[in-house]
Amino acid sequence: MTELLQVKGLTKSFGSVHAVKSIDFSIQEGRCVALLGPNGAGKTTTIRMLTGLLAPTSGEVRFHSLARGEDHRSLIGYLPQTPAFHNGMSGMEYVVYSGRLCGLSASDARKRAMELLERVGLASAAKRRVGGYSGGMKQRLGLAQALVHHPKLLVMDEPVSALDPLGRREVLRLLQELKSETTVLFSTHVLHDAEELCDDVVIIRDGEVALQGSLAAIRNEHRRPVIELKLEDAPHAINWAQSFLQKSRTDELRYSWLSEAELQGNRLYMTASHMDVARQGLMEELTEHKVPFSRLEVGYSSLEDLFMKVVSG
Amino acid sequence: MNSASEAQYREQPAKRLRNAAIRRTGSSAFMTLLGKECLELLRSFKLVWVPIVFVVLGIMQPLLSYFMPVLIEKAGNMPEGTVIEMPPPVGSQVLADTLSQFGLMGLLILALAFMGIVSGERNSGASALVLVKPVSHTSYLLSKWVSMMILTWGSLLLGYAAAWYYTWLLIDFVDVGPFMLSYVLFGLWFTFVLTATLLFSTFLRSAAGAAFSSLGVAVLLSMLAGLMPKYMGWSPGALSGLAYQAVTSEVLLPLNSVSWWSIATAVIGIAVLLMGSVVLLKRAPAHD
Amino acid sequence: MKETMELSQWMGLIVPLVLLQLLLMIIALVLCVKAEETRGPKWMWALIIILGQLLGPIAFFLFGRRNQ
Repeated sequence: MTELLQVKGLTKSFGSVHAVKSIDFSIQEGRCVALLGPNGAGKTTTIRMLTGLLAPTSGEVRFHSLARGEDHRSLIGYLPQTPAFHNGMSGMEYVVYSGRLCGLSASDARKRAMELLERVGLASAAKRRVGGYSGGMKQRLGLAQALVHHPKLLVMDEPVSALDPLGRREVLRLLQELKSETTVLFSTHVLHDAEELCDDVVIIRDGEVALQGSLAAIRNEHRRPVIELKLEDAPHAINWAQSFLQKSRTDELRYSWLSEAELQGNRLYMTASHMDVARQGLMEELTEHKVPFSRLEVGYSSLEDLFMKVVSG
Repeated sequence: MNSASEAQYREQPAKRLRNAAIRRTGSSAFMTLLGKECLELLRSFKLVWVPIVFVVLGIMQPLLSYFMPVLIEKAGNMPEGTVIEMPPPVGSQVLADTLSQFGLMGLLILALAFMGIVSGERNSGASALVLVKPVSHTSYLLSKWVSMMILTWGSLLLGYAAAWYYTWLLIDFVDVGPFMLSYVLFGLWFTFVLTATLLFSTFLRSAAGAAFSSLGVAVLLSMLAGLMPKYMGWSPGALSGLAYQAVTSEVLLPLNSVSWWSIATAVIGIAVLLMGSVVLLKRAPAHD
Repeated sequence: MKETMELSQWMGLIVPLVLLQLLLMIIALVLCVKAEETRGPKWMWALIIILGQLLGPIAFFLFGRRNQ
């Protein structure tokens, strides 16, 4: 696997506001990478610096196939969050125009435009004015114009967050296909979209990289056994739970299998460090005190839990 | 260091090829951009209505001058037999009046028609989609400038020629030499002001702001040149006055050294305004 | 000279001017009717175009249409 590009110490300040603080990451060829983070984390700023629309305060974006400082715009296809076109043009005209701007000959541009419009499902609307397109259609036209010159890297800023559920489905399906053809980087604040499409994630928070790596590796590495215990509505049970929490905090040696515990109503949530030991320890506890419980569930923490923890903590 | 320079040396031919490719794309990208600008001029009907307005303005001036005595006679309610002493209109003076009409109404219309030429696309984000493609900021702006100039010089020529023709029919014949010279001088003045509109449109968000800033610059410059011809005669603001002189004077080319200076400063000013626009656009190709 | 000029000659001079103004008005009216969105009600613009002499159509071309 070869590296396509490397982002080194990328920083952007607007006056005294530090939107992006020295971000480092790299993108491997052929991967689909999500730039994940809550709103205002600096995702759009990072993407705009990547596309050359915004000059970084410091740091650099380096494509390995190019010499240092060489214009990398020809390698990138870009789809902004809400793409704006020249409204007087038709969809077909716009994609041909985009192709011509990227150096395609007139006939090549036409061929490619037809192929792409077909692909994104706009063939029947190709002759209509872009001004009359719906949000989902504009997004798909945006995708077509971004792909017109076979870019090495497709960059998208929140490609589906402004769309209704139907448009969202359509675009996600398209992206699912596209990611096998080119390297993709997109930003999103929705973990679910990232999980559905991506190989790698870069989670950013407050303009800094909080966590990055392949989705599979992150899932494995940060997976924790969790136990959920639902108690009967008996005072005996709740009393036990409270004293258990107390004890687990004081007698750390005996309860070393427990890394975190929380009581919510009659549910006790526990995060364990070792599943087997935890199961054993908890069972002993429960029989010893004759705790009346109605359900005991053992599972693993989801990526969502991790995302929430990383992003808020 | 040795190996680094060696690597650089090996990189050279590839880089040269790539640069040549970029240059090729560059010129075709410029033509594509210009094509799009002209298409927009056509679809917005500017290419139709602006020339018509200039022709109407051009026709009106000689007609007005010709009918002025009649109109005054009608409006004045004079007793029978009153003889009105009015100097007969002179053709060259009518053309100078036409130019001054173009300089007010015409320039206002053109500045308003072009005020959003960059800011509109920057505000909507349409410029972002163009400028992430391998397109130079210079071609982007130059394509807009050239389309502006096509409409400006074209409309001015049509309107002025219509005025010349009507003046010939109604009043008297004006030589083609002074006519053309005054056209070029006045076109240069328009070019200067409208290039300022382009610059303001690049760095102001508000289109109206761009129109009125550039018109403000125009008014200021011509006022200064009019009030202090000795000190400001070399500025582009003197061009419109020079154009009036060119068409009214008996001999062709009444250009003295100060006049040449005002032409030179206008040309330099246009170049500087264009370069300034490019620099401003590079700093922020699109608003958020 | 005024007296010697024939009516047809007068017409020959005035008619192009009137025709051009009419043309401007018609183009403006057609664009106004066809426009997806105008700044302000369409009937108001139609009135401005018809009654505003030369300035009516110009005002419409410059300010009447939203995102052309």
